[in-house]
Amino acid sequence: MTEGKMISVTIEGRAVQVPEGTSMLEAAKVAGVLIPHYCYHPGLPVAGVCRMCLVEVEKSAKLAPACATSVAEGQVIHVHSDPARVARQGVLEMLLINHPLDCPICDQSGECELQDYTFAEGRKDSRYREAKRFNPVEDFGGDVVYVPNRCILCTRCVRFMEDVAHDPVLNVSERGDRAVIGKFEGQDLTHPWAGNVVELCPVGALLSKDFLNKARSWDLDRSASICPNCTQGCNTALESRDNVVVRMRPRPNEDVNKYFLCDEGRLNYRWLNRRDRVEFPHIRRGDALAPAGWDEAVEAAAAALRGRRVHVVASPSLSNEVLFQLAQVIARLGGTGVFRVRQGPEAPLDGVPGLSLRADRAANVRGAELLGFRRTETPLAGLANGDALLVADEELAGADAASLAAAAATAAAVVVIGTTLPSWAMRAAVMLPIANMAEEEGTFTNVEGRVQRYLQAKAAPGLARPGYAAMGDLLTALGDQTVNVVPSDVFRALAAAHAPFGGMTYEGLGLRGATVSAQAQPAALAAAT
Amino acid sequence: MSAPAGGPSAGPRLTALDRAPRADAHERDENYQPVFVNARRKELDELLTRYPTKMAALLPALWIVQEERGWVSEPAMAEVAAVLGLTPAYVKGVVTFYTMYHQHPVGKYFVQVCTTSPCNVCGAEDVVRAFLKQTGASDLGATSPDGRFTVIEVECLGACGFATPVMINNEFLESVSADRVPSIVGALK
Repeated sequence: MTEGKMISVTIEGRAVQVPEGTSMLEAAKVAGVLIPHYCYHPGLPVAGVCRMCLVEVEKSAKLAPACATSVAEGQVIHVHSDPARVARQGVLEMLLINHPLDCPICDQSGECELQDYTFAEGRKDSRYREAKRFNPVEDFGGDVVYVPNRCILCTRCVRFMEDVAHDPVLNVSERGDRAVIGKFEGQDLTHPWAGNVVELCPVGALLSKDFLNKARSWDLDRSASICPNCTQGCNTALESRDNVVVRMRPRPNEDVNKYFLCDEGRLNYRWLNRRDRVEFPHIRRGDALAPAGWDEAVEAAAAALRGRRVHVVASPSLSNEVLFQLAQVIARLGGTGVFRVRQGPEAPLDGVPGLSLRADRAANVRGAELLGFRRTETPLAGLANGDALLVADEELAGADAASLAAAAATAAAVVVIGTTLPSWAMRAAVMLPIANMAEEEGTFTNVEGRVQRYLQAKAAPGLARPGYAAMGDLLTALGDQTVNVVPSDVFRALAAAHAPFGGMTYEGLGLRGATVSAQAQPAALAAAT
Repeated sequence: MSAPAGGPSAGPRLTALDRAPRADAHERDENYQPVFVNARRKELDELLTRYPTKMAALLPALWIVQEERGWVSEPAMAEVAAVLGLTPAYVKGVVTFYTMYHQHPVGKYFVQVCTTSPCNVCGAEDVVRAFLKQTGASDLGATSPDGRFTVIEVECLGACGFATPVMINNEFLESVSADRVPSIVGALK
């Protein structure tokens, strides 16, 4: 594509200018016109096999495949003219020859491009009277199951595995009307990013085993979110039904994850639905924690902390907003803030430079660092005698009983905010229940310093509140006059206090995010007032 | 399976046989020994010098396998993939695309009878029936019990002026009629 040279074309009567080398299909998107297509996908090499995107070009003898034809100066392109519509109708009729039309039992129903385009402009009946071919369902390994009867052989899956994952385990086997997507026996879709073929499949041929028969797509509520499972910060859509998250899918973002999401991220959403959640604030009464109201509990927490230095052990998957509020607690009382990060094997997607399942399995490591928290493997080690211990959404899994007992003995008071109550937390003076990331809005800062918003997908259980609001009340109880309990306000205060975030607002971030200033130095925790 | 008499095309029947589950050890080629050793390896190495990439030599490499073993089994696909630096899935896609690579063992003599329109008019189906009868093969694509013959119908062999042409392995026979078949088969038994 030559930089600078622009081409003027008219698509469905709308004049647009696009860079030289742009395909008709992409140019049509600029004009706000969707050219129906199956094999084309912006994240994959062009194949031109489905013939669905044929368009009429004035003064051209025959129809042109819009995905594989670059625009030329002065072209007038018709997408919905009679010749183009007739061509698409023919393609649809052919695709439906062997398609079982089992939409009522197909997982893809409601988000199926074959269904959509057939409904929009297909024939009302079929002229095919012979028997349809039949091939049995095949387990492709990983999270993927293949239903060959529904397949339209667009080869998006084959191209993804070959050109993006660089692990060509899928092929087109046989040919003509016998062709199916095949693989070699014993070589499964075990690549850590292989689950993307389910998203890429425009029909119900490649399905997620995890989501199989779980919900109809039209019953789902969808929220823009960020994958919380590593520091990459892939953009996602959290899909829930009846207040239960049932699926997490990639949401396109050219600057972060393109169109993709790894299997580890995709399948690790069940913890958002945990049933062992704490639904009420708790206060210590004698030997036990007893339920209490929020006002009482926040006051008790303030009383436990007041006049003491505080050692904060925070989860690096808490939002920038919650971490900022915690940093303010530290700034007010004096003390330290630390976090530790769960590790896992790194898994890059070879075809997309910079995109990888990162070893740091937490969403906001960079944010925690920028807000002054210190990374450590021994989060309890920095606790000094007489300090208060504030543990924020960190279950301390794997910490040995001796160090927990030592910490409890050392700490003058233990305050826990979190979603669950691990056994060691029964020693706490106060427990404040907060929402998990699906139940609140907020921002994460990814490994490249990109600050990205996520929205609420479901309701929090019981009286659990978003962490930024609970901490806002705690700050008020500790004497802070600012009273920031709305996430956009908290973020504005954060941006004002921390130079790397300078000038950022929720409105400015939108749903694409923005990158922190690399020059600006992060403030030390003590200076965070 | 029924006799092929009057069948309009061999396509669907051949499909069913191609897709038959590989039930026995012979079909799975469990005792596979590598093809590309010694002379065959040299042949491949020489071949590779004539192509710009290893991948480009895939078709001739598969021909070597079929020449050596009579068919291309899954372990053979895996070997070809390994020597050419491809994945087995890719090789399998190519093997299954081309009908001239055998995905199942065939008889020592592979009989291809042209049944395209002009030959059909000249009695090609009688020739097919005669071959099945004489070889003892139960159906198109199936191998005779003695393991010597496999008979299939084939699209135009390009000798319409000499109907019916028949290819037996690499031998090309012209103007074959049903009554010539017993002597042809007899000479091979």
